[in-house]
Amino acid sequence: MSTKGYYGRMLEVNLSDGSVEVTKIADSDIKNFIGGRGLGAKILWDRLKPGTDPLSPENILMFMPGPFSGLPIPSSSRTCVVTKSTRTSAVGEMYKHGSTLSYSNMGGFFGPGLRFAGYDAMLVTGKSQKPVYIRIEEDNVTIEDAEKYWGMGTDKFDKQFPRDLGEGRWESCYIGPAGEAQVPMACIINTAARAAGRGGTGCVMGSKNLKAIAVKGSKMPNIADLERYNELLKTVRKSFMKKDDNVMNWRYGGTANALSSSSRGGTQAVKNYSEGSYSEIEKIGTEANRKEIWKRDFACYACQLACKKSGYAKGGYETLVHDGPEYETGTMLGANLMISDISGLQKLIFVADDYGVDIISSGNTIGFLMEAYERGDIDSEFLDGIKLEWGNVDAAMAMLHKICKREGIGELASRGVKALSEKIGKGSSDYAIHVKGHELAAWNVPVRNSYWAVTYATANRGACHMNGGNVSGQDGSCLRDSIGACNFASSWYRNETHYRHFMKAITGLEWTEEEFNTAGSRIFTMEKMFNYRDGFRREDDIIPEKFFKNKFTYGEHAGAIVDRDEFRTNMDNYYESRGWDKETSRPTDDTLRKLGLEFTI
Amino acid sequence: MSGKKDFKAVSRRHFLNTLGLGSAGLVLAGSYGFSFRRDHESKMLKAIVVDFEKCSGCRTCEAVCSAFNHKVNIEGIEMEGLGNPELSNIRVHHYNPDIDIPSTCALCEDTPCIEACPVEPHPETGRKALYKDPESGIILNDLERCIGCSSCAMACKEKRGGVIRPNPETGSPERMCTLCGGNPQCVENCPYDALSYIEIDDSIEFYGMAPGKIAQKLIMKLYNLKLEEV
Repeated sequence: MSTKGYYGRMLEVNLSDGSVEVTKIADSDIKNFIGGRGLGAKILWDRLKPGTDPLSPENILMFMPGPFSGLPIPSSSRTCVVTKSTRTSAVGEMYKHGSTLSYSNMGGFFGPGLRFAGYDAMLVTGKSQKPVYIRIEEDNVTIEDAEKYWGMGTDKFDKQFPRDLGEGRWESCYIGPAGEAQVPMACIINTAARAAGRGGTGCVMGSKNLKAIAVKGSKMPNIADLERYNELLKTVRKSFMKKDDNVMNWRYGGTANALSSSSRGGTQAVKNYSEGSYSEIEKIGTEANRKEIWKRDFACYACQLACKKSGYAKGGYETLVHDGPEYETGTMLGANLMISDISGLQKLIFVADDYGVDIISSGNTIGFLMEAYERGDIDSEFLDGIKLEWGNVDAAMAMLHKICKREGIGELASRGVKALSEKIGKGSSDYAIHVKGHELAAWNVPVRNSYWAVTYATANRGACHMNGGNVSGQDGSCLRDSIGACNFASSWYRNETHYRHFMKAITGLEWTEEEFNTAGSRIFTMEKMFNYRDGFRREDDIIPEKFFKNKFTYGEHAGAIVDRDEFRTNMDNYYESRGWDKETSRPTDDTLRKLGLEFTI
Repeated sequence: MSGKKDFKAVSRRHFLNTLGLGSAGLVLAGSYGFSFRRDHESKMLKAIVVDFEKCSGCRTCEAVCSAFNHKVNIEGIEMEGLGNPELSNIRVHHYNPDIDIPSTCALCEDTPCIEACPVEPHPETGRKALYKDPESGIILNDLERCIGCSSCAMACKEKRGGVIRPNPETGSPERMCTLCGGNPQCVENCPYDALSYIEIDDSIEFYGMAPGKIAQKLIMKLYNLKLEEV
């Protein structure tokens, strides 16, 4: 018997020897680390030696649903992919392959699928000699030949794969050609658009020669208090069903609504983060897409917000639209590159998803190269003849292809802006917009820098826009990523429908507010200790120089810049409120003991 | 949500206008996604109608159908189950290019499933193993008499949308709509108002079309693309 609401079962597949094993998850790990991102961090700490090469067979690729995943609690379909990052490196270089962990979250139906098959977690280790996929039909787990799919884009694969799997409803996730080519910024995709985008999840999957995972099942765990759970479920459903403005805004525009609002607020990444507002944003914003592109709104499992937008783009770059633009993709391949051609933007997003590459990192990288090209720090010869000018869709597209194939300059560019700036020199590291090697996302720093600078500097996967800019925000994020809940729906889970009430009904364990919040801190600090062990210190918790040196010139936030001393003070305060040492950034022994992490001392 | 429960009679034209569907939608809405029964007080049909334009593919309908129709008994108290979608009677089929097609038992007038049932009618009730409940109009299966031949499922697949599926072990038919005792939970809980349980007059045509065919038409309409093969 495991903790109620869990199977206590972890599926472990070793692709080197083809072994399949089901192991038990310790109840103490369930109570302390919950599931999803938290449990993933604990497993990674337990099993990986410091300095492990993320592309070695030893690295573990984990698919981690949470205790909510598979239950029809609105907006709780998520799955966290946890692995050692291919993207990050420490200033001190204690280990040749020192890197942070990566947690990358995707919606859709895959996480629920894993739970329906009877597992709380799935771990893939080893490396197959040839391309394979893993087929999971509850207890029947097999490793199948995937030779015929190798090289297939995610759109075509998404159409072909379910037909080949045959009867019944299969959920799957997979890599595209970028993951196969081990592009460090490759991601894992499901439903041809939803992505575990960040930290090189697809590169790790590609390094194992694993094209896809397919899963099917009809199981459900036992929960502790079904009556109470049903009551909570009905209450929370009712609150969504009021269809207030908040619900309807999500349905109308999804995160794309932020394209306009963030631009107005000066918090958008524009022209490689040189500006915070974009004069042409309305050409690619919600209204334009509603009018010209979007046909349908799509939801993840049991979600009432339907933020995924699909349609068809006509014009110069005709394309099917699986999803987008949302805020990140629309900014990183749009505003950040000064691209306002709506069909061109849609095509870039489609091509990136089809390759299976992280749009945040690839968009950031192309933006960096555009700036370097404009400054004359590189020429078109460096770029294999591409004239990489701001706003040029064809040039951006050519660069995207090169990155995703690791072809020519793409070999270096696929490693991101840190690697590029080291090669280019000439002070280009000042405008290489990354933290720990991981590129920043679409939220620009200066205007609300007390929040965003801390968010990016302290994130455990390197720059991460979902991290939160203070202790409680970060802990809340950890908790949602661990139970399987979507960040976008958090405002419906307050007071009487707070997550912890569901946790109590599901597990039967007491989850006081304090216990719940402490679990969030424990998870965040667990991740921090993993990174610390791999050599990350305070000098790694920085933000790019550009934010201290470049003033916005456009819009009502012209003049915005980050003050170096203020940043330092904010960071000092942050470490203090975490109970971490200010010099090294290491959590103090006292803090670790209080959180039940004495095993990391 | 009150609109969903207003069983107001609507003419065919009004019904289609209400759904906001064009002529392509007319055939589509009329052709599938209905779960209707004849109301013997009037000449109206109460139907579960799908508005394919609104469905977001969230599968909440599956979860609530499964929870309601697979109740659990805990210490003598019957309550709704956890709702594994695999056990649901209504089924949302997903396609790429993106479209979701909810599909549910149509409680057909001419019941090809019952026609196909080879079990001799019972001398007293006149019922085969598969029969229509005269009160509710739902299709029921007598497990005692069912021989598990799957003929009903095959007939449904050939002549209608293929909703009925044989149980993988026993072969007996599953996924016929129960109407949840008159208040279909899928309708009650659809977050997107894509499902309605309304009266329509019996002039509405019913074309039992498979979900894949509907998807094909909608994909052509929405994206101007062909679904290569379903």
